[in-house]
Amino acid sequence: MTRTSRLRSGLAGLAIAFLSPLTAQAQMAHQHGSEAACEGTELRCATKVTPFFAADGKLWLAWMAGGRVSVANSTDGGKTYSAPVPVTEQQLNLDWGPDARPKLVVDSKGTVAVAFSIFRDQAFNGQVLTTRSSDGGQSFAPVRPITASNESQRFEAMALDQDGTVFVAWLDKRNRVPAKAAGRSYEGAGLFFSSSRDGGATYAEATLAQDNTCECCRLGLAFAGPGRPVVVFRNIYEGSVRDHAVVTFSDLTTPGEVTRVSSDDWQIKACPHQGPSLTVAPTGTYHVTWFTGGKVRKGLFYAQSRDGGRTFSEPMALGQADRNPTRPYVLATQDVTTLVWKEFDGERTTVMAIQSKDDGATWSKPRAIASTDNASDHPLLVANGRQVFLSWMTKSDGYRLQAIGDES
Amino acid sequence: MKREILKRKISAAVALCGLLALTASSMAAPQSLKPFERGTWREVLRAHAGRPTLIHFWGVTCGPCKIELPQLGKFMADHPEIDVVTVSADLVPNLTTATQAMLDKAGLAAAENFIFGDGFVERLRFEIDPSWQGDIPRTMLVTPDGAIETIEGSAEISDLGRWSAKQPRQQ
Repeated sequence: MTRTSRLRSGLAGLAIAFLSPLTAQAQMAHQHGSEAACEGTELRCATKVTPFFAADGKLWLAWMAGGRVSVANSTDGGKTYSAPVPVTEQQLNLDWGPDARPKLVVDSKGTVAVAFSIFRDQAFNGQVLTTRSSDGGQSFAPVRPITASNESQRFEAMALDQDGTVFVAWLDKRNRVPAKAAGRSYEGAGLFFSSSRDGGATYAEATLAQDNTCECCRLGLAFAGPGRPVVVFRNIYEGSVRDHAVVTFSDLTTPGEVTRVSSDDWQIKACPHQGPSLTVAPTGTYHVTWFTGGKVRKGLFYAQSRDGGRTFSEPMALGQADRNPTRPYVLATQDVTTLVWKEFDGERTTVMAIQSKDDGATWSKPRAIASTDNASDHPLLVANGRQVFLSWMTKSDGYRLQAIGDES
Repeated sequence: MKREILKRKISAAVALCGLLALTASSMAAPQSLKPFERGTWREVLRAHAGRPTLIHFWGVTCGPCKIELPQLGKFMADHPEIDVVTVSADLVPNLTTATQAMLDKAGLAAAENFIFGDGFVERLRFEIDPSWQGDIPRTMLVTPDGAIETIEGSAEISDLGRWSAKQPRQQ
């Protein structure tokens, strides 16, 4: 027994001795196998890029590259960009989970509000940080946590209300502390929210909308009308069934009833790392798309609700099952609802698109609109008025903002 | 007959090499983490062909994985007849030191441990299982004749025990 422990401590000493060359080796390995095309902070080195069209038609981008979040804008629809501005001076341990990405919104006065997550400690507890620029993106205020709580937060979603209020929802582990103290088990994370009426300078105290939701997927966020955010999230139902749910707020501080988008019956104690997407059409229809591995159905699905999220249509399957359809995203504009997702054939990743001109009742045939031969970000959709664009960061081909034509 | 003996001799030599390799790897424990790259999946299956093998996919940022990993460490200690392979399947950049530290703490330092080493994770996952979208934890149980059973999410250790009891005994 004693001999064993002595041997162990001897080995521990050796392990420490090996640590420094190991760290160097690990860093080299990162460069070799990275998702990023390069190590700098410029756009072409980004792994995650998030677009936002301001009311004046200016395109804004926030991206993750070189351990920093940077922001730039384009007045010519993405042909050229302003000099990128990193929002922090120092590198951060940014949340590099598959569903993490920086968020930004820009109000009518040109105030840029930014939010993103970092890993705060060695145990991968997250923290949602915010900052803003009141000089048109030339400089950013020092980053601030969105909440005073020191428990893990991740997967913030950010949207701009009609009156310029910034609404943020995120997943927050704070309620595991009282549960643990009381000897109860705690599953998942709470869906928390807050808002800022000063363009992202300060945020109201965090409030819980729903406890025990799945802790590792992005949220879908849209507005059903002024002051009425809607959040779609992977909920945890009885028996660790991780199916999707939606909550519509009656105002910015009052979450309504939580309703189920679909009964897929995905009973899994795991991090699916793949959250839903939501858009609310001008007609008020909710369009939701998600991934599930449930007993009832597996793969990517789409459904719509025409009664404010109370009931949803029968889920419609998306993509070719043998091509691993993944990362669906939906966006409704005045005339058309567009859905994109990725497919993979073993060598190339292709972005597929379908469109509906009747608010989700019927859809065009899937069409490949872009492809790449290496790592890529999730495909996103963004609109400038009536024009819909695919926003997609790829390691091989850089960032692209591609107008989506009539798919029907 | 002669062939049979030769085979045995080879296995003895392989075992000896294995022993040496094992000693070397335990001395330099943190370096046991091998990159999982294009083609690694096929190599892993080939290397363990004929032996019951448990291949566990996990990641340092995954909550349920943190709970399951020590249970798996205990399973490995209790079932020396099963080859245990772990693959940290988080996106790259993947943290080598954190991964190794968690494996050590969970009692899995002596397992065959890999870490995703290719930024094109879709391709890595596609080689393993074209329908896998990256959810972790995930456990694949491979019988000596190559039949694979996949457990999505945290595995019940009792289920693993039942599976291993069904496997033919190794000499």
